[in-house]
This record gives sequence, C-alpha cells and structure tokens, in this order.
Amino acid sequence: MSASPRKPGGARLAAVVLLALPLAIYILLYLMPISSMISLSVDNGELGRTLVRFRDADQGDHDARAAALLADMQAMDAGRQAATARELNQNLSGFRSLFLKTARQAAGIEPTAAGLAAFDDRWTDQIYWDVMLANSSPFTWRHFGEATGLKLDESGRLTAGGDDIYVQIMWRTLVISVQVTLVTLLIGYPLAYAVTNAAPRFAAFVLIAVLMSFWTSILVRTTAWVILLQTSGLVNSFLLRTGFVTEPLQLIFNRFGAIVSMTHVLLPFAVIPIMNVMRTIPKSQKDASLSLGAGPIETFLRVYLPQTLRGVAVGGATVFILALGFYITPSLTGGPRDQMVSFYIAAFVKESLNWGMASALSVMLLGAVLLILSAYGAARWLLSRKRGRA
Amino acid sequence: MKTIGVALLCTVMTAIPVTVMARDVTIAGWGGNYQDAQRQAYFEPFAAKAGVKIEETTYLGGLAEIKAMVDTGNVTWDFLIMGGSELQLACDEGLLEPLDWDAIGGKDDLLPGAAMTCGVGNVVIGNGFAYNTQAFPTPPQDWKDFFDREKFPGRRGVNNTPQFNLEYALMADGVPPDQIYEVLATPEGVDRAFAQWDKIKDLLQYWESGAQPVEWLASNNVALSTAYNGRIIMAKREGKPLEFVWKNHVVNMDGWAMVKGSPYKDRLTEFMQTVNDPANQAKFSSLMPYGPSNTLAAGHLTPEIVAGLPAGDNIKEAAFMSDEFWIDHLDDLRERWSRWSTQ
Repeated sequence: MSASPRKPGGARLAAVVLLALPLAIYILLYLMPISSMISLSVDNGELGRTLVRFRDADQGDHDARAAALLADMQAMDAGRQAATARELNQNLSGFRSLFLKTARQAAGIEPTAAGLAAFDDRWTDQIYWDVMLANSSPFTWRHFGEATGLKLDESGRLTAGGDDIYVQIMWRTLVISVQVTLVTLLIGYPLAYAVTNAAPRFAAFVLIAVLMSFWTSILVRTTAWVILLQTSGLVNSFLLRTGFVTEPLQLIFNRFGAIVSMTHVLLPFAVIPIMNVMRTIPKSQKDASLSLGAGPIETFLRVYLPQTLRGVAVGGATVFILALGFYITPSLTGGPRDQMVSFYIAAFVKESLNWGMASALSVMLLGAVLLILSAYGAARWLLSRKRGRA
Repeated sequence: MKTIGVALLCTVMTAIPVTVMARDVTIAGWGGNYQDAQRQAYFEPFAAKAGVKIEETTYLGGLAEIKAMVDTGNVTWDFLIMGGSELQLACDEGLLEPLDWDAIGGKDDLLPGAAMTCGVGNVVIGNGFAYNTQAFPTPPQDWKDFFDREKFPGRRGVNNTPQFNLEYALMADGVPPDQIYEVLATPEGVDRAFAQWDKIKDLLQYWESGAQPVEWLASNNVALSTAYNGRIIMAKREGKPLEFVWKNHVVNMDGWAMVKGSPYKDRLTEFMQTVNDPANQAKFSSLMPYGPSNTLAAGHLTPEIVAGLPAGDNIKEAAFMSDEFWIDHLDDLRERWSRWSTQ
C-alpha cells in the first residue's frame, strides 16, 4: 500500500474529506449553542409571534385593538397562552393571571373595549395595553436594557438611569476573578518551584498533593472548606484553643470563604503550566549567574523569573477565565454579596424560565472574556514588537 | 488505506445516534429522608401493585428541566413532586398530564386545593423558624422575636427567596395571618415587609437546602433559622436540642404530577390512587413529619406523631400560602429580593 507515495489523489483526498466532515460537525456543535444564545438574548419569545393582529391594529381605536387581542388569544393553544402570559408577567406583575384568565375564555367575550372591561375591569387600565404594545415586536432589547441598566428613550438614544445591578454584579465577578488569580499565582508559584527544584521525595509529595485535589470532585473540595471554616469548624476551634482569638471569626459565607475555596479549586490550573515552564530552565543557569557575581535574589529576579513569566501568564489566564464562570463554589462558601454572574444566569434559567435574561447576561460575560483576551493579546503583541526592535 | 480507516472511524463516531431504550418508571423527588419515606410509603406499594420497576432521581425545583424534556420530546421522568405554585405554573404551560379525577376518585376526602388539574397535593409542610433550646434562657415565641436583634442576638439562617420570608416579616409587623396576601399585594405592604428585613439584614446567613438550618442550629452557627418543620422534628427525634416555633407558621403543599408525554401514562391513575391512599399517607407522615393531604389519614396516626405535624392544634394560628399570589408576583418580588440581598 505504501508503494504508491507519489499518488496524492484518491485515498488521501478521501481521507481529507472524511476528516473534514467531523471537524465541520464539531465546529457546528461548538458554534451553534453560542449563536442560539446570542439570538435568544434579543428574541422576544412568544410575544413577538403571538400578538400579531394586536400589533397591526389601530391603537387609537379601542374596540379594534380589543377585538384584535381576543382574536390573537383564540389563535394560540394553551401552552402558548401560558408562555405569553409568563413573558408579560416579567414586564408587569399580575399580568399573568389577567392574560390567562381572559385568554382561556376569549371565545365568550364580546370583542369590544366594553366587553373586555365587563369581563375584567383591569383592561380599562392603559398600562396593560402599553406593556403589550411595547413587547409585541419579534426582537427586543429589553433583556440587554435590564442587564446593562441602559434604556432606549423615545428618540432612540441610549440613556443611563435604569437599574445597573447586573453591571455591578459583572464588575464584582471581574474583581473576584482578579483576586483569586493573584492569590492562586502567589501560592502556585512557590509550589511549582518546589515541585521542580526540591529534593525528589518532597517534590513528588507536593505534586501528588496538588494532583490529588485536581482529581477530587469540586463539590467535595468545596464542602470540605465549609466544614473547616465554619464557626465551630477546625480552624476556629484551633484559633480559640490557642488563644489567638476570643470569639470565633466569621470565615465563611463571605468574600474570604469564597476566595479561599475558589483558590484551592483552581490552584492546579496555575501550578501545572508554571511547573512545565520551570522544568525547561537548566539548573546550570543559576550556577552560572551565581559564579558571575550575582546574589541569589538578583539571580532569581534577572535570570529565573523572566523565563518563567510565560508559564505565569498561561496559568494566570487559565485561572482567570475559569474563575469568571464559577458558580457552585461561591454559592456554597460566599455570602449574598459574593455571588458571581453565573449564579444569576442559573437562577434565570432554572427558576423563572427567563431564558432571554439568562442569554443577555451570558452574552455580557462572553463579551467581557473576549475583551480581556484581546486586550491581553494586544499587550503581548506590543511587548514582543518592542522587544523585537530593541 | 490506514488513513482512510482512521478517518472513517472518526466520522462514524461522531455520527453514532442516540439510542432510545425502554426505561423503568422514573420518579423524581427532593431526595434525603423525604424521598426515603416516600419510597416506603408510596413507591414500593405502587411498584408491587402495578408490577413495574422503579428508578429514582432527584429534582431540585424549577421548570427548566421539565420544559426541556417536553420541548425536545425526550421525556426521561414520569412522576415528580413539586411545590404547589410551580405545579400550577407547569400545568398552565402544558408541561404536565391532566388528571382524570373521575377515574382516580376520592376527591372529597382531600384537603381543599389538593385536587388540581394536573396534580394531587400530597405533603403538607410547615414553614416557620427554629432555635437551639440551649441557646436562650427564655425561648423565642413568634416572628416578632425572630426580628428582634436585642432580645435574641446572633445570626439568622434564612432561605434566599422572597417566598415565605415576606409573609414572616408582615406577621412580625403585626399583620394577622389571614390578611398577609392582601397587604403584600400593595406596594406599601411590600415595603413594610422589606423594612422588617432591613432591621436584621447584616445578621442573615442564607441556606439553600433544608438540611443546612439543622446543622447550623445544632452547631450554634446561627442563633435562629427559618426551617421546614419536618427537618427540625426529625433532628429532635435524633436527640438534637432543637425546637420548632409553631405560632404563625406558613403552611404549603407539595404535590405529585406526571410529565407530559411520559410513556407510562397508562399508570397515571394507579399512581395517584397510591399516593392518595390514607394508610400510605399515614405511613409517610409517621416516617417523615409532614402532614397528610387526605383527611382520612388522621385515623391511622398516633397523637405523638400528630404533635410533630402541621395539623391539629399546631395549625390553629397558621397562615396558608397562596399559590395564586405567588404565581403572579414571584418574578417581580424575586427580583426585588435578590436586588435587596445582593446590595
């Protein structure tokens, strides 16, 4: 079979095509969820598809808009009525029961403004009609508006002044991730150094310790910290017994607890890349530097450290990106002021079925990651260019 | 040829279809002791009677999983136990199978509100607060005490949701149990409830699962904690020095339902009859201190068991949770609560 190396067509071409196929499928499987997430964040859900007659009705003519609404209601099946009602209720509390009650009996209601008012006098309140009209187009920015606190005013200009709670949470997510990354690198660097440079036995012990925690379930590790740090936990009993403190410290369900447990979970992701880079640095360099008259500190700062920065950068970036998406660990060990954006995404998906809001927050998170990554890439490119010129 | 072989293998592996297999009857519950008791009281009798095998799994609330199953047509659960308002929501959205009450029968023996379009109310739960009997010389009596940081200093365990918590706050502010939802439907009423929580906001420690209050109270991690009556009564039986405050607790009901499109739809009536059976319900209540929904079950229970249930004397001053109120107001109030708790 290998006797025909000069025939590149045929078999080789078939192989390329066959390999390209799974690749295409993988890329599709990777991109599809992301694109569906982005489209969900601006999709108006059922509202954009179910209130079509109402949308086109003359809003000044109250009888016409009532008739159009009732016709729309009758065109929906029960599931769509409920989904529409749920989405309206996200905009205005209490709309759900009004809409469902009306929709379920729409056939028996006289299709005029008076007929609707006789069925339930809440329909005389303009606010319900305004909410429906504002939300009857197929696309919406309301999820992003709510997520960013920015609002589109009547002239189409963006104004601040909405509630920016999710921007604060996004900012908090970034701050916690930076804090965790710094602590992880501070602990991870000496650990990686120990694994590469210490006596073989000790190095193996440290490596096993790091890997053991890598192989343990994230939930188990997090719960272990809850047990260690709680008011009557090991750490507090030790501190009390040795007399360092007279009252137990609050070590968990606050920022401290969240950062300690996240650091522990993420430590291997920093240690392993740093260790790999350190292993490539020949020991003789240190001896050379020392013999040329540099002290141990200068040797470390000018010879060793600069060469390991590549590993630090890779480890730090990995830890940072992973920390951005953390959810379980801070929810178990942090307080309500330490919850990160993923916690709210999960709550929107699971509890209120508000997938539009969840998608808008996910897009914000993805955007932040891309922004930071490109800033990081740009910084590296600039640095390498500068170095190249010098 | 080897390259083609490898490439072919890769292609085939990506294209392996998801095989559909016949599966056993799958029941999703809240886990823990609660589900253990249900296994003995309901699942085993049902399996024996219907001649089926049962697979169990855990459900953590919310509609996301059920909606995903129904929307994709890949229904992997058959029966599940849900909170009353979520059951109603899921029913409206068309995620649950409607019940045939003529076939199931016994509707009149059930508590009011237990016979629903898509489910049966099955478990009556007392939501209140508990304390460690060794912590205070004079024990707390009511919600006023829970919000009183001078008389009862220390941290409070609280579930991170507006549900129940706003009711508690209004009762602490003097609103009678039968008027809480009228007050809570007004913006001023909501402000009143949050004003109570503002008084002890810095003392709160949020729990996620019903087991946490028990651990925290037993280890003096918190001074007081909101809790489900069942967890506290169980802990008491195990010898932990805890006590549940029955005055003005809020009663709600969990119910059984079937996911729409389940392949075991022909077993629906039989299952609902099993969980409605008064003897089975009495067995559940004696294993797990939550109340029965069938009024005939009381005849099968001893007074010692009833003393730990949200039933009889214990519910004389109780409030009854309004599913209708929460279905309309949960989105709004949850947002306000999470904004309040996160800032």
